[in-house]
Amino acid sequence: MQYQSQAVAKPYFIAAIALFVAQVLFGLIMGLQYVVGDFLFPEIPFNVARMVHTNALIVWLLMAFMGASYYLVPEEAETELYSPGLATLMFWVFLVAAALTVAGYLLLSYSTLAEVTMNKLLPTMGREFLEQPTITKIGIVIVALAFLFNIGMTILRGRKTVINLVLLMGLTGLAVFFLFAFYNPENLVLDKYFWWWVVHLWVEGVWELILGAILAFVLVKTTGVDREVIEKWLYVIIAMTLITGIIGTGHHYYWIGAPEYWQWWGSIFSAMEPIPFFMMTVFAFNIVNKRRRDHPNKPAMLWALGTAVMAFLGAGVWGFLHTLSPVNYYTHGSQITAAHGHMAFYGAYVMINITIISYAMPLLRGRNAANPLKSQVWEMWSFWLMTIAMVFITLFLTGAGILQAYLQRMGENPQPFMVVQEQISLFYWLREIAGVIFLIGLVVYIASFFVGQNDPEATTAS
Amino acid sequence: MKQLSETLGIRPCTLVYLVLIALSLTAFLVGRLGFSGLGVSLLVLFLALIKGQLVGSYFMGLGSVRGLWRWLVFIWLFIPGILIGMAFTLSYQ
Amino acid sequence: MTADRSVLPSNYPPGDLAIWIFILAELAVFAIFFAAYAFTRLQHVALFNEHQLTLDREAALINTLALITSSYFVVRAVSAIKVGDRRRCVHWLLAALSMGLLFLIVKSVEYVQHYSEGINLSSNIFYMFYLSLTFFHFMHVIMGMVILAAIAVMAARGRYSRQEHTGVESGASYWHMVDLVWLILFPLVYVMR
Repeated sequence: MQYQSQAVAKPYFIAAIALFVAQVLFGLIMGLQYVVGDFLFPEIPFNVARMVHTNALIVWLLMAFMGASYYLVPEEAETELYSPGLATLMFWVFLVAAALTVAGYLLLSYSTLAEVTMNKLLPTMGREFLEQPTITKIGIVIVALAFLFNIGMTILRGRKTVINLVLLMGLTGLAVFFLFAFYNPENLVLDKYFWWWVVHLWVEGVWELILGAILAFVLVKTTGVDREVIEKWLYVIIAMTLITGIIGTGHHYYWIGAPEYWQWWGSIFSAMEPIPFFMMTVFAFNIVNKRRRDHPNKPAMLWALGTAVMAFLGAGVWGFLHTLSPVNYYTHGSQITAAHGHMAFYGAYVMINITIISYAMPLLRGRNAANPLKSQVWEMWSFWLMTIAMVFITLFLTGAGILQAYLQRMGENPQPFMVVQEQISLFYWLREIAGVIFLIGLVVYIASFFVGQNDPEATTAS
Repeated sequence: MKQLSETLGIRPCTLVYLVLIALSLTAFLVGRLGFSGLGVSLLVLFLALIKGQLVGSYFMGLGSVRGLWRWLVFIWLFIPGILIGMAFTLSYQ
Repeated sequence: MTADRSVLPSNYPPGDLAIWIFILAELAVFAIFFAAYAFTRLQHVALFNEHQLTLDREAALINTLALITSSYFVVRAVSAIKVGDRRRCVHWLLAALSMGLLFLIVKSVEYVQHYSEGINLSSNIFYMFYLSLTFFHFMHVIMGMVILAAIAVMAARGRYSRQEHTGVESGASYWHMVDLVWLILFPLVYVMR
């Protein structure tokens, strides 16, 4: 750690991991509810578990993005953070808001929650992934603004690197596009437009910039490759991401009442969305092959390369599977979507956050470069457990989705939804087993922070 | 191209440029004079592919590159060229 | 110009590898668009033939010549920097930019014409393709011009030399790609019927 103020990243990372655990636990609850419908009913109904599962994911990813930014921006800018105090204050505001919101989901009925938070004054609730009460949303905006101010001022007064500027661009986009969440038109088509402009432009647009910047930072640090080479790749990846990602929004317009030409625009441009992810894979391996040194932090390197591969598979390949409009006609909103969602979020955003945590945490805990060997071994085990479990979750859901689309929407006698659900329950059971293995991987991951802490630090030679 | 340009006393790229202009004017005149039909369409397409190959080899400099990159523009012209040619041929059936 | 380099063949095309990956991706998008056009036309031959006649072929010819000429100018700019002539390089780049500008003006006039006739993406499938393809290409011309302008500025500031001019070659390659795409787009959409 080169700058004292980078330390504010630590609580963000810890809270992010805690929320990650919550997310996975609620995922397992939901997974079981797919096959045992009344599990935990009426305490935790399916819709509530789903809300907690997805919202916890979003919040922990945001937390980790913020932590990552607080860590890497000062180092890139070669100056202390503009205001470490503000960063810490915002951490507590964010954490308390998140905790209260989750408590609200679990303890109150959604309609009561809407009532007590005075949703009527500015109705924003009730939309998938954006279920948060309006006051929570306002809180998110305040935290985001304070965060952007802090980061922006730091960058402004320090060295301006491409990595920092790309990151800032991504974070600004993140904050700006969130504002669409406050507009809730009566017209259902318009409503869907604005909703996608948050959801899609986040995960298939600006978040990819954040991902690219963090990946580039970790690669610069661990490989010692010339910054110029890495920056050049970053430019190309970003240009491609923005072109395909923004026009690719059209793949959400197929069936919501938008003009017909979106069938073409959406299909063609979103079919190109895997390209920037593929470039990222080529980029990461290219840079690692050119490395000038062997960094002692092996897990960080593993997570970085893992991100490059899994993001391409999850976001790129699994996205392409159902993005063409004639295919999507049958697969829309089926378990194929769930398969894609799981591997894409894990491969792109979960893994990039663990990458930066893996790189930064040893330094934040006062080590020179890396954790002791034992801790590294545990962490690498957790990498394989979680990643392979996620591959299986995705494969099982894909199987379920293909069968679902076929039984429910194709053939001579399409069957009703619930009848089909019964027939694909085997896949759901298998998915749940893979989910348990994922949880074991997560436990091993957390344990890696505690094992062998008194051993000497790993060096390149070992 | 190189030898011809030396004979003419101009740069090879200038010669390529003049050929490109001539081919473009030809394609335009075909359209302007109202020629149509499968043969004409395929001829125009073929001229366009030649132009593309000239740009690739001489302007983009792929002509002096070894290996797979040398064929980048050729392959790019070839695949859509075949597909377009096929689709237009079918449209005359 | 290839003959100017008079060096042994290399394994990589001129310019940065990254820009070539980008070019590859761009070409792929256009290839798919072209094939989609041709095969959709198959289902609506009469409609395509009828509306193709409403397009302005003269304007398209001017634009073809403008792009070919600007591409040629860019080739000369690269030749100039290869012999270390920075001033010449900048002049050729500016000339190329002016041709790009001509393209943008002519194409904009065409768009205004269509707009005043009430033609838009939803008019019919031919116009959907025509407008989508040409507009997507239009955006690439703008993008290419931004790149050329940036290179011209850096060249004027002395960032490039006889030894180090990868930036010029990268930008040139991108611009040639914009030209290349139009060379297929022009006959396909305006002439072939």
